[in-house]
Amino acid sequence: MSKRIGVYICRCGGNISDYVDVDKVKGAIEKEKDVVLTKTTMFACADANQKEMEKDIQENDLDDVIVASCSPKLHLTTFRAVTVRAGLNKFNYYHANIREQVSWAHSDDKPGATENAIRVVKAAIAKMRHAKPLKPIKIHSKKAVAVLGAGVAGMRAAIALAAMDCEVYLIERNHFVGGHTAQWEELFNSEETGKNVISRLFHELLLYKNITIYTGAQVIENAGHIGDFMLKVRVEPAYIDEIPDPLEIKKAIEVCPVEVPDSFNFNLTQRKAIYRNNPEEFPEKTVIDIKNCTRCGECEKVCKSINFSQKEKIITLHAGTVLFATGFDPYTPRENEFGYSRISNVITLPQFMRLIALCDKKLIYKGKEVNKIAYVYCVGSRQPDGENKYCSRYCCTAAIFTSINVRKKYRNIANYHFTRGVRTYGKQEVYYNESLRMGDVYLQSFDHELPVVYQKGNKTLVKINDILTEQRELELEADLVVLVTSMVPREDQSTASLFKLPKGRDKFLKEIHMKLRPVETVIDGITIAGTCQGPMNIAESVNSSLSASAKAFSYISKGELELEPIVASINKNLCSWCNACYEACPFDAINKVDEGSKSYAVINNSICKGCGMCLPVCPYDAIELITYSNREIEEMIDMLAKD
Amino acid sequence: MTAINSELAKELNEFGTFDFSACYNCGNCTAVCSLTTEDESFPRNMLRYSMVGLENDIKVSLKPWLCYYCGDCSTYCPQNAYPGELMMTLRRWLTSRYDWTGLSGLLYKSAVWNIFAFLLVAAGVIVYAAFNSFDLAEIMHGGHLFEMIAIAGVFAAILFPNIIRMWYFTIIKAGIKAPVKLYLKPIGSFFVHMFTQKRTLSCNDNKFRWFEHFILVIGYLSLLFITVFLNWFETQSLFINLLGYFVSAVVFIVTFHFIFERIRKTKEISKFSQPSDWLFVIWLFLMGITAFLVRLFIDLNILEHNIWLYLVHLIILAQWALLIVPFGKWTHFLYRSFAMYFQKIITDHSGFSGN
Repeated sequence: MSKRIGVYICRCGGNISDYVDVDKVKGAIEKEKDVVLTKTTMFACADANQKEMEKDIQENDLDDVIVASCSPKLHLTTFRAVTVRAGLNKFNYYHANIREQVSWAHSDDKPGATENAIRVVKAAIAKMRHAKPLKPIKIHSKKAVAVLGAGVAGMRAAIALAAMDCEVYLIERNHFVGGHTAQWEELFNSEETGKNVISRLFHELLLYKNITIYTGAQVIENAGHIGDFMLKVRVEPAYIDEIPDPLEIKKAIEVCPVEVPDSFNFNLTQRKAIYRNNPEEFPEKTVIDIKNCTRCGECEKVCKSINFSQKEKIITLHAGTVLFATGFDPYTPRENEFGYSRISNVITLPQFMRLIALCDKKLIYKGKEVNKIAYVYCVGSRQPDGENKYCSRYCCTAAIFTSINVRKKYRNIANYHFTRGVRTYGKQEVYYNESLRMGDVYLQSFDHELPVVYQKGNKTLVKINDILTEQRELELEADLVVLVTSMVPREDQSTASLFKLPKGRDKFLKEIHMKLRPVETVIDGITIAGTCQGPMNIAESVNSSLSASAKAFSYISKGELELEPIVASINKNLCSWCNACYEACPFDAINKVDEGSKSYAVINNSICKGCGMCLPVCPYDAIELITYSNREIEEMIDMLAKD
Repeated sequence: MTAINSELAKELNEFGTFDFSACYNCGNCTAVCSLTTEDESFPRNMLRYSMVGLENDIKVSLKPWLCYYCGDCSTYCPQNAYPGELMMTLRRWLTSRYDWTGLSGLLYKSAVWNIFAFLLVAAGVIVYAAFNSFDLAEIMHGGHLFEMIAIAGVFAAILFPNIIRMWYFTIIKAGIKAPVKLYLKPIGSFFVHMFTQKRTLSCNDNKFRWFEHFILVIGYLSLLFITVFLNWFETQSLFINLLGYFVSAVVFIVTFHFIFERIRKTKEISKFSQPSDWLFVIWLFLMGITAFLVRLFIDLNILEHNIWLYLVHLIILAQWALLIVPFGKWTHFLYRSFAMYFQKIITDHSGFSGN
């Protein structure tokens, strides 16, 4: 079958034609089989030339178009659009790179560059002889979103998506929503407390009939793909019947003999194995911590609503897209890192923030009033020797903001900040300024000479070579040392692993492109929001969660999705299911089909990304990648390598 | 190892500074300072010492005296931490540390103590006058005697011991063991600095102020010598009398300009006035003007009937001599000069011993 191919050779204003003899290229390919039109142009991308191309395509009844010019990264979409405007399919366009790969690379060898350009264009022609118009793969997408994690980012995303008429499943691993935000009192850049924010979001969530909240719930299985993820969710029971008698419950908590550290207060306090939500948390209910419960039966004696016969439930949800908002863990310092867990009055910033919430008139830690507070910055961030090279960005502001509040709340507080340079970026600089003007003392150390926290007698001392004071060795006797700890990825990454979400070098979940595609992942249909992606403050988390909501909505808004048709296809006659492609596929896009006695592999077009990993492992050459078939590539190589 | 002490910053605030803790250590102040050198760098490090409370390091430092307050550091401070005002405060604080009586600190920190002390001296003068039945000749004789006794007494009992203390802090405690010849060499330049304050000329745009200050120093010193030691105004020579009036007039105008600048607050140096600053310039002015009036009344032969004028003059004179000179801002005349002198010894010593 003969085709009608048009070729444009761009001079790129001299960028190409200074080194490549474009007229010679034109002459060399004019007589190629199937080529019916050859032109050189000063700037192929110029508006006038684009219009001329459209006219040429129509007048010459072209089947395929090739532009030999710059990198396809620059103008592939430009010329695809030209062919589409002229009535062709975008896959009937090919972009041959004779600038980055030819003229710029071989500016020292003009005849060689010209020869190279001729081969590149001939290879393009060889490929286009096989080009077929392709239609995007269309799949049905369910207008439902699973939001994983009901912290501030997840809750905000759920509301945004529900407002756009999506069915939302908000899945929270804990028994209460709110995440870490529920644990904070005053929030910087805000007049509200963490409780205010979470309470507001929770009550807004309740207004939407199309939001279902699952607490104590965890995704344990994932199957399916963009448009239709099938999630199995395990929901833990509270072991208490709904709407119990409040007095009985109160008694049940009183009689429970089991005391465990309360993680809400970062282990500063104890709670019972049967416990209520903290006032900052929602929903308002009582649950039994079955892992720590000894089943002594004391609570059952005083409360009729205790029901140990409740079983965990496994439910199946179908969602068109999944939004990850699984949050962060606060960094736990290593044993004796700045005295942590060795010296009794060394605590972390999150603990300190809870301590302030728990202390009313006087700031008391372990029975002693606290006046002099030393803050050691960048603990778990910017580690010179450790793995965490990143800056957690929220912590400078959080520490300074907290220190200001401490000064305002209690009398005779003196704050000493042992920093490695203060990063209260953006509007948060005002807190640094306020803190300085209040008279807080800031000291700074180099990365290789961190401050030392040590004990002398019953005194706790912090020592620093202060680079702001001529590197003098200065020492402070502190009543309390607060380690300003970083954000680290969740220790338990099992849910992300279920979805094969990639992680960055910092072990946070990774986006496709930090700047241009900041909430999408390489797994189609999965977006990430908030601190599961990296350290963020609340405003930044909500920003990213709204961005992820918009992106998630775009996958499901039409009820139908268009995917790139460049996927692998299996010739079932050649395939005998050896399992090799199944093993090689990074996206789980290959399934086994049994047909009578024969088994063979099929590609799930909704999942396949056309990466080509399965091709070389197939012992029978049964797999071809659409638009990159063996024949196309071989013929291109022939043209490039011809003597 | 030095302990961090944030009490010092609180104490300094009582001596006049404010907001210096806003400093975020950019170092602009030191960069724009026209007097700082590589070896003697300030004012940023002084802010830092004050912030972390390196009291001893400030006490042994001469740097606050090496600053002549052009105010550039305050003008160019992006944080409005007013480093110039901190240096001014440190000079007050050092004055209180040099003063063995401790009265300096009391008068610098407390307006109430100032009022009390000034009233006490005024009462003393009036009691003295009453004791002498308000007899003018008797009182004037006593006043003249008082001038000489006060100058000698204040110098011997207060100023001289304080200079020794300054020397002890800045030379001995700083570990400088300079041989006698190093003390002898800069004596000439000591007097030049004392009477000309020529270091001010290296400050930016301070030429006119230097000139005014120079006129004041020379003018008041001349008046002091003339009235106290020489009694030249007793002469009948018309020329000398007219010259006396003229010189006095110039000195009063300049003094008034100093007060006026503090009221206008247009320059960094005159923006923030502490009681000690006001007392110094106002009492200087009052002392001169009353002396002038006394002289005028004598020439017009009407002082006999206006004995109150002489009493007012004597009160101001006594307050000046007993409070402002030994414990107040007047001391900067000595400390600045000696700071230049000691600094020269220290510099020569480090060159001498090859460090």
